[in-house]
Amino acid sequence: MDYEQSPDRIVGTAAVGSGGARPKKAPVPVKIIVAGGFGVGKTTTVGAISEISPLTTEAEMTSASVGIDDPGQATAKTTTTIAMDFGVLTIDQTLKLYIFGTPGQSRFAFMWDDLIKGALGALVVVDTNRIDDCYPAVDYFERAGLPFVVGVNTFNGQMSYSLDEVRWALAVREDVPVLSFDARFRGSVRDALLVVLDQALDKAIRQKSSYP
Amino acid sequence: MTYPDPDDPAHPARPSVRPFLQSGPLSAGGYRPAPREEEPPVVEQSAALRPFVITSGRTDGTDPDIGMETQVTVNPTAGPVRLSPEMRAIVGLCFEPVSVAEISARLRLHLGVTRILVGDLRAAGQLDVHVLDNETPDPETIMRVIRGLRAIT
Repeated sequence: MDYEQSPDRIVGTAAVGSGGARPKKAPVPVKIIVAGGFGVGKTTTVGAISEISPLTTEAEMTSASVGIDDPGQATAKTTTTIAMDFGVLTIDQTLKLYIFGTPGQSRFAFMWDDLIKGALGALVVVDTNRIDDCYPAVDYFERAGLPFVVGVNTFNGQMSYSLDEVRWALAVREDVPVLSFDARFRGSVRDALLVVLDQALDKAIRQKSSYP
Repeated sequence: MTYPDPDDPAHPARPSVRPFLQSGPLSAGGYRPAPREEEPPVVEQSAALRPFVITSGRTDGTDPDIGMETQVTVNPTAGPVRLSPEMRAIVGLCFEPVSVAEISARLRLHLGVTRILVGDLRAAGQLDVHVLDNETPDPETIMRVIRGLRAIT
């Protein structure tokens, strides 16, 4: 990283960068949340659709949220860092889609308020072997009124339960789509995200007609 | 969290080192903590202290306008000023529009730290933060995303 070697560089428009080129007009960012428990395939989902390999950003988990985490040997520590993967898809010069993967357990809910602000919708990734991992995310998105879709990740095309059984177990509203997809394949992830966008469009049109 | 007393002769204050410097080659002049068996917790805590040092002790006061996907560019009319290494690194990334989350990931700065520093640089006139007029996307924008997504294979 170049700033390690240049301790006294003065920053100015001409001093840094390649030829002092004027910055391009910034694109409008939109985002979709991919939520789910550990190992359900969030990062695979993000990586399948992103045009860059997924980047990782770290956020601090405060002491208030640590209680239910396994304290283990690190009991003296009052903050924990959690990693969040995200990817980007450039729609066109003026529009960029960001896909943020976030853990689905309730102890990570402290960051969801920030995440869902301005989000189009969410894809809740479910592993049918550990279906309860996604309950908090479903609860949260329902309460927040964020359009969401439940996506059962079919590892190797196998599903232990049918989509109807998953819907029954989650007790989501009739209008919440429950679908299966394969996180490894771009086309499959794209189709799942298109269902999320459908829900987002419905909501946006409803809002626009009720507040003209 | 209990912080070590810097005046305690038994545990003298030591400069903390960013995690990515600790992982770098020691031959490159990286600071190497002296191997002292009796106080491993201090090493742990000094790493945790670093974000507060970068933000001059602030942990909140983040501008709510600055989201993870918010686009940031350098302000082309900004005058030259002296900035901290972290701030210089942020400005150096923003010649092309870039999101706050990308800045955080590429510089391995915590998201909260990045948001605070971007807010400071915006207040100092070094960066343009492109805040959206309407928070919820309109149907036309969503239609464009749908069309763009359908086009990929």
